[in-house]
Amino acid sequence: MSKRYRIKALFSDFEEAFAALSDIRHSKVPGVSIDDVKLNSPIEHPEIEEVLGERPVHIPKLTLAGATFGLVFGFLFLASAQATFLVQPQGGKPVIPLPSNFVLVYEMLIFFGVWTTFFAFLFMSGLFRKRGNLYSEKVSLDQIGVIVEADEAQRDKLKSLFKTHKSLEIREEEIQ
Amino acid sequence: MIEKDIDEQIKWAKINADVLRSMENPRRAYWITFFICIAMMACAVTAEIYQYNTGMGVTNLNNPHMWDMYIATFVFWIGMSHSGTLLSAILHIIHADWRKPIYRFAEAMTTFSLMTAGFFPMIHLGRVWNLYWVLPYVSDRGHWPNFRSPLVWDAFAISTYLSASMLFLFIGMIPDLAICRDNARGWRRKIYTVLSLGWVGSDRQWRNFRKTYLLMACFLIPLAVSVHSIVSSDFAMSIMPGWHVTSFPPYFVAGALYSGCAAIITLFVMLRYYFRFEEYMTVAIMEKTAKLTFAIAMVWTYLNLIEFASTWYGHDIYAKELLIAKATGPYAWIFWTMLFCGMVVPFALAVEKFRRHMPTMFVVSLLLNLSMYFERWMIVAPTLSMAHDPHQWYIEWPSIVQWAIVFGSFGWFGLLFLVFVKVFPSVSMYEVKEMVFHRRRLVNENAAKEYSRRASDRKGAGGTPELKGA
Amino acid sequence: MSLQNILENWSKYRRGAEEGGHHKYEHRWGMAINLDLCIGCNACSTACYAENNLAVVGKERFAKGQAMHWLRVERYWDESINTTSSVAPEYPEEGASFLPMMCQQCNSATCEPVCPVAATYHTPDGLNAQVYNRCIGSRYCSNNCPFRNRYFNFYSYYESAWPEPMNQQLNPDLSVRDKGVMEKCTFCVQRIRAAKDKAKMEDRKVQDGEFTTACAQACPTSAIVFGDRLDPESKVAKLWAQQEVKLGVYKQHKQNPEKRGYRIFEELNIDPSVMYMERVRDSSI
Repeated sequence: MSKRYRIKALFSDFEEAFAALSDIRHSKVPGVSIDDVKLNSPIEHPEIEEVLGERPVHIPKLTLAGATFGLVFGFLFLASAQATFLVQPQGGKPVIPLPSNFVLVYEMLIFFGVWTTFFAFLFMSGLFRKRGNLYSEKVSLDQIGVIVEADEAQRDKLKSLFKTHKSLEIREEEIQ
Repeated sequence: MIEKDIDEQIKWAKINADVLRSMENPRRAYWITFFICIAMMACAVTAEIYQYNTGMGVTNLNNPHMWDMYIATFVFWIGMSHSGTLLSAILHIIHADWRKPIYRFAEAMTTFSLMTAGFFPMIHLGRVWNLYWVLPYVSDRGHWPNFRSPLVWDAFAISTYLSASMLFLFIGMIPDLAICRDNARGWRRKIYTVLSLGWVGSDRQWRNFRKTYLLMACFLIPLAVSVHSIVSSDFAMSIMPGWHVTSFPPYFVAGALYSGCAAIITLFVMLRYYFRFEEYMTVAIMEKTAKLTFAIAMVWTYLNLIEFASTWYGHDIYAKELLIAKATGPYAWIFWTMLFCGMVVPFALAVEKFRRHMPTMFVVSLLLNLSMYFERWMIVAPTLSMAHDPHQWYIEWPSIVQWAIVFGSFGWFGLLFLVFVKVFPSVSMYEVKEMVFHRRRLVNENAAKEYSRRASDRKGAGGTPELKGA
Repeated sequence: MSLQNILENWSKYRRGAEEGGHHKYEHRWGMAINLDLCIGCNACSTACYAENNLAVVGKERFAKGQAMHWLRVERYWDESINTTSSVAPEYPEEGASFLPMMCQQCNSATCEPVCPVAATYHTPDGLNAQVYNRCIGSRYCSNNCPFRNRYFNFYSYYESAWPEPMNQQLNPDLSVRDKGVMEKCTFCVQRIRAAKDKAKMEDRKVQDGEFTTACAQACPTSAIVFGDRLDPESKVAKLWAQQEVKLGVYKQHKQNPEKRGYRIFEELNIDPSVMYMERVRDSSI
């Protein structure tokens, strides 16, 4: 079994980095798919999706679930509390007063929505991991990093591809 | 003169360096301010201990005046908390990228003023040790809070708002904390490593980050509006003249945005001066903020006037008499100062010369917030002084204990803010980079067109467009 | 059990206001106060202090408005004896009229829905009850009372109000309140309780006139009449009927507009349980 490598190239010119990605996408390096590519960047690049391809984000579904839970649980919680707390109805109003429950359920919807979004973000976006040997502090400054996992066979081709695109630095590590 | 929100040629390394520099080596002025804040807090703590042990009577509260400066200050701080997060979220959704250099401290202001505001309902409770009875917990005695009380809505709304705005602030800060981690040494590095949660800026992280941030912004806009509406229902849900006003929820929201914007301007000028952030907190951004404040000031003015008009033309004699008493009675000087500072002074923001002059803006913003504080006093106190039963009319002024606690609350807010600017980056580094990045890409295509348009706007027809940058 | 609670008791609470509100009322305690008989002697207020363990707060705190008088006699100078002449009255007291003001036990009390912890609620006796132990002192109820009849314990008054041996005079039937809780007139609920208990033991209904509140008992001119509004034979019900004053409305439609009975602030739709009979003015004779 051949060795597998993780190769990271750093670019300071973002256009060149995108061009390198574009080359990988168009199979300039046989055996390396765009799905093996990861990017480390100092800023958010919505335009990179054109090159990287659309990758799914599942957070909105969880947010919807959380907010719906807040809505349903909030109402049931309040209603059951009010239904058993009969000291509460005063001055000719119903036992479960909808106007005030709208206000409270609205807040509970947002409360649960917000916390679910936060926890979904923590667990879905690959946080809480070691930065690894390839991590470069320059990424948090002004350079963009392209990480590719490849077999030994493609290793040199990738490196030369990166070099033609004016990569400043190439790091690699062996995996498995 | 050609104006840009930010110089797009600024080097990214300089952005990092400038912001990180603001976080280290406090100067002497910082420590002096820091200890002044601590001294202010000490006043409040002393007063609160005295009040706790002796009883609420030491505040000069009495039978008609059951609420007073504490509640006015509570509403004031809640109002202050509105602009940061709400404006940040709205501007984020409509892609107004000039928010990027200034939103961080504005959001911090939101969180800290909420943390300040949260103290006041506790301070003013007669039996604060039973505060948790307001929360809906399951008790084996079958007790629940009264869900129809606006004070319980407050408890729900404020806890939701506090958690949402803290999370919004924190999520927006994670990439910057990673920058801090990469540049820090020693124990600070350890702290930032924990705080940045292992952020490496991978495409997966950014993708989820973008979505999360957008979702949070979408939650925060309706939330912020609802929070101050709920605070206003503390008054609007009662039957007291001057409180039972239908237009109170929008009036409170407008007032909240107003005082929040004024506070943003105050802190803008202070940070710009203190940290030498001239390149990020530019005059152009100040101009935009000032215009926004002016617009909100006019909304507030309108709502204020229709409140008077509807009282005046309505047939509620109690409310009408109260309105006359507000304008002519013992609180009249507060009333007129509020109207002058809130309705006339903002016209200074309509003058370009003033908008571009930082010391003027500083003074104007303080006057606006003074007006907003007086507004809250005028909402709470006169109604209680001159309500339905004339036998119980009583003019009362707060005692030194109340003053000390209110004074101390500013110290607490200042202390939180001072700690914040040294521990967390008060300008968002990664977003300023984004702003610069996108403007660099745009500038070549649009520069010529844009510059000639602006030049002709300023001087009228016939001016020679100055072309550069292309 | 809570489910049982819902199934059995809910229908009781769903009843509309026109059917007598949410309770099947056992009693509806009410009052009728004839202002023409009131001489402003403050005996009612003093009796209330003695009966209900009200703290005497001292001159200074009284002047600050921190007094605890559940029943206060309001004085108004609305009429001078020399109505026709422009001469100032000889004495400032000339033309004073008095209004004994206690908690009006409103049937749609504005203080009740605003309490965050439900420390104040309506009893099946038609009373607006205050639970001292539950009160956290947010003082919202007092702010929302148009009569300003709710009094807050701003200090631990008991520490100085009854120095030895005056603490011996405290009424053992009710508690002494500490700082931080709201309190107000209860229509002498301890007397109501005792009378109801006695009637139950003797297996009969509570009789009208069997007991009365401290203020009504002390009034030298019998200006204050207390009783059960649900008992058509009671003195108070007869007075209300005679004055054509009804519960449950915000405006009285009287056959005879000459009748003097009125309820204070009833136009706010709070439905007070105390009827006042207006003073017969000297000028109108």
